[in-house]
Amino acid sequence: MPSKLSATPARMLALAGLAGLAALLSNALLPVSRRLPWSGFRPTSPVAPPGKVAPPEPPTPAPAPAQPLNTTRPAQPVAVPTPRPRIEAPPPPAVPASPIREISGPEAWKAFQSGQPFLDARRSEDFTVGHVAGAWCAPVWEADLEDRLLTFKASRRPGPEDPIVIYCSGGDCRDSHLLAARLLNEGYFHLLIYRDGFPDWVAAGHPVAKGQP
Amino acid sequence: MTRWLLHARVTLAARVLLGLVFVAAALPKLADPPGFAKAIWGYGLFPAWSLSPLALVLPWLELACGMALCLGFWIRAAALWIGALLLSFCLALGINLARHHPVDCGCFGGSIPKTDAERLADMRWSLARDAALGLLVTHLLWSTRPRAAEPSSPADG
Repeated sequence: MPSKLSATPARMLALAGLAGLAALLSNALLPVSRRLPWSGFRPTSPVAPPGKVAPPEPPTPAPAPAQPLNTTRPAQPVAVPTPRPRIEAPPPPAVPASPIREISGPEAWKAFQSGQPFLDARRSEDFTVGHVAGAWCAPVWEADLEDRLLTFKASRRPGPEDPIVIYCSGGDCRDSHLLAARLLNEGYFHLLIYRDGFPDWVAAGHPVAKGQP
Repeated sequence: MTRWLLHARVTLAARVLLGLVFVAAALPKLADPPGFAKAIWGYGLFPAWSLSPLALVLPWLELACGMALCLGFWIRAAALWIGALLLSFCLALGINLARHHPVDCGCFGGSIPKTDAERLADMRWSLARDAALGLLVTHLLWSTRPRAAEPSSPADG
């Protein structure tokens, strides 16, 4: 039956097309916490499996602008250069040895007491159930992460060398590492990952808040 | 031996069972695409750009194929897709089992936190389950194969 044989691939294509169309529609209609950016994720490149995210190297400082070489122009009478005022370059910020570092519960508590910002990398529904008091919701798998990070930056205005504490659920949760890798790409290089995460924070009896991000 | 295997009721049962499994697998993923994207990322096999399209389209493809099998239309096309999906699931699980990399299956949506040993055990079970479902797909494809002797068959209707 040639018609039947040729119909099957066409029907397979139709099923795939139907699925793609439904995905387009549903992703537009779902609440923002359930949406995905079609363009994919930017946190790490390439994607590494959990447990294999290597600590990235700190970004090397940009080289000082060199004097432009003038090789094309013919030789001209050279005017005596007038001494220009020497501009003192500001000293480079103190970069920690490793831009991403894991910290323990007591270190996280100390950071909390000194007013350092906390970013919660878990899903927004987990954030609503409970989070470190004063933490910012930055769910690394949700479509509005960009907007949430922009809000955080606009409110706290963290400098590139200011410490930022990031946490998720502890254990083998890697969301905080993904968020740290993303922030590192954006030029922040004092990122502290609270290794044991929110369960440890709750167990230690530290301040917790609930409610919408 | 194969006569009872190809009995209409056996074929119907296999088709509906396979369809129901895929509908049940699709629904939790449709409800939470970011959770499914995270599960796919956990396998460590896919580039970052592919995570969202996979997490968004795969559950709908599972649902469409599952519904087609349950309702009895485009059976061969749906069974071929499901066979391809099962093969890729088995490959993904097998590669991660071979490299002792425990992952959450993500087959039926999110799961509770587990130890590495529990995850590896679950992965073996999932692999066995997918292989069993693959047998159902083979049965469906065999029972609905085009036959020149029979001018019309309701199988791929």
